[in-house]
Amino acid sequence: MLSVENLRVVYQEVISVLQGVSLKVPDGEITVLLGANGAGKTTLLRTIFGLLPVYDGKIIEGNVFLDGVSLNRFHSSVIVKKYRITYILEERPVFWYLTVDQNLKAAAFSRPNREISGEIARVLKIFPKLGSLMNTKAGFLSGGEQQMLTIGMALMTKPKILLLDEPSLGLAPLIGRELFGIIRNLNRDGLTIFLVEQNAHAALSVAARGYVIEGGRIVLDGTAQELIHNKDVREFYLGVAGGDQQRFRDAKRYKRRKRWL
Amino acid sequence: MMDFLQFFCSGLLNGLVYALLGLGLVLIFRASEAFNFAVGEFLVVGAFLFYFFYFNWGLPLLIALPLGLGAAGVFGGIVERSVIKPLMGRPHLSMTIITLGLSNILAGGLQATVGSNPYNFSVSLPDLTLDLGPLIFPSTNVWAGILSLAFFTMILLFLYKTRWGLVIQATSESQPKALCFGINAQSVLLLVWAIAAACIGASGIVISNLGALSSQISVVGLRAIPVVLIGGLDSIAGALVGGLIVGIAESLTGAYLEPAGLIGFKEVVPYFVLLIALFIRPYGLLGRVRIERV
Ligand SMILES: Nc1ncnc2c1ncn2[C@@H]1O[C@H](COP(=O)(O)OP(=O)(O)OP(=O)(O)O)[C@@H](O)[C@H]1O
Ligand SMILES: [Mg+2]
Repeated sequence: MLSVENLRVVYQEVISVLQGVSLKVPDGEITVLLGANGAGKTTLLRTIFGLLPVYDGKIIEGNVFLDGVSLNRFHSSVIVKKYRITYILEERPVFWYLTVDQNLKAAAFSRPNREISGEIARVLKIFPKLGSLMNTKAGFLSGGEQQMLTIGMALMTKPKILLLDEPSLGLAPLIGRELFGIIRNLNRDGLTIFLVEQNAHAALSVAARGYVIEGGRIVLDGTAQELIHNKDVREFYLGVAGGDQQRFRDAKRYKRRKRWL
Repeated sequence: MMDFLQFFCSGLLNGLVYALLGLGLVLIFRASEAFNFAVGEFLVVGAFLFYFFYFNWGLPLLIALPLGLGAAGVFGGIVERSVIKPLMGRPHLSMTIITLGLSNILAGGLQATVGSNPYNFSVSLPDLTLDLGPLIFPSTNVWAGILSLAFFTMILLFLYKTRWGLVIQATSESQPKALCFGINAQSVLLLVWAIAAACIGASGIVISNLGALSSQISVVGLRAIPVVLIGGLDSIAGALVGGLIVGIAESLTGAYLEPAGLIGFKEVVPYFVLLIALFIRPYGLLGRVRIERV
């Protein structure tokens, strides 16, 4: 199981972004992390994946554990190859100037050569549409196609755990729904998924558990059902008005007062 | 007419050498987004490393050449680790600027170790003088063209036909994206600098073989600047096209314009061509058309 314990992270030695985050991503489940812009969601994923040094960030306290082993010191290439965790960047990490075929092959860098064609066939079974686009440069694909390719590329690394950063960002609602269907299917096939989302409705509908992060702290956690029915989550993330009707101005003041803290 | 053909083809042969030189710069630019102003010193160092194995140790060519190029690659790797890698994550311009400083330091180092006297440099190769009646091409020039083309092709095959080549292309496009899939971007950069240094070193060997080896030939490195700017800093085909254009332009200028009184115009003409090329295509003739999406 992937878990994070009391993690404190700073950028450039001074900018404190995560202030004691703890959470668990149980094997075989979809765990969702909700939070507003700038709450520190991407930073948490970078930390788990060993990318902090690239962004001049540092863990000053706490640990990322995978089955009891601390991952704090590992480079992302080790985390992919040995610990089988793959991270999908918020901006879709397809290589624009490579074809779809080349993208899939480049992503399989950590796999032995002989497994690659089998893996590609497996990915094409999940995303048949990519098959007809094999020789198209990824930069010319539509947003939805790029997202499919991204997930296909992540699968080429044969992950056990997938870290997804706002996969539905910028996708049309219909494609977004298709995407969450795919995420659910991948999970049914055994993939553990840690999903960062702003689209709380769709995310909670596929997740087993969820956390809410605010200002670098986890302020709420529970099963997806609990979160869906939580009054604050309903108000802030699902856009459902609270129980007793208030005037608009009151509601706004109430929101400002109640910043989860 | 025959004169023209003679000068044109001589320029073509020289152009292939420039293309190889340009390729080294393009590889570095694509991966590190830095222009390597130390290219002239890379060229001299590469040539001297080969000189050492071939002339000093007297190793056979087929052993000395890979050894020399390998040593040039190690040299490029050392430069990457000591000078470039510490700047990762900083503005790209800082890398370019540091190569200017590096150029001076290396030039000083060369002055102190090998001095500025010419070293006799003639590799014993089978005579390939092309005597076609009115046209005649000296063996060294023919070899320069052949060797440059061979090195160029080898690097191209590596880049486009192997897994490592694919990973170099991917990492050159985006390091964060490459990291996502477990590609060790830093090893890839190390490899690119090593290959580029070997590539520049190879052109240094070829150039020395046209005359003599001395630290003065580092000025040839400066001619690589218009080569890659004409073709496009990020374009491999551009290095070839730019190299050929500069080679031919130089040769024709030397033959026709300089005798007409424009002494020294040969040195300037590449920049002249560059100006025209940039008017036509601001990213260079074959510079990558940016895929823009909003
Ligand atoms: N490399 C960096 N250097 C300094 N500060 C950074 C860096 N990256 C992020 N930050 C800051 O850290 C905070 C958290 O950023 P982060 O990207 O983790 O938020 P997020 O929850 O992913 O937001 P979003 O929903 O907009 O993606 C922000 O205030 C941001 O400005
Ligand atoms: Mg983010």
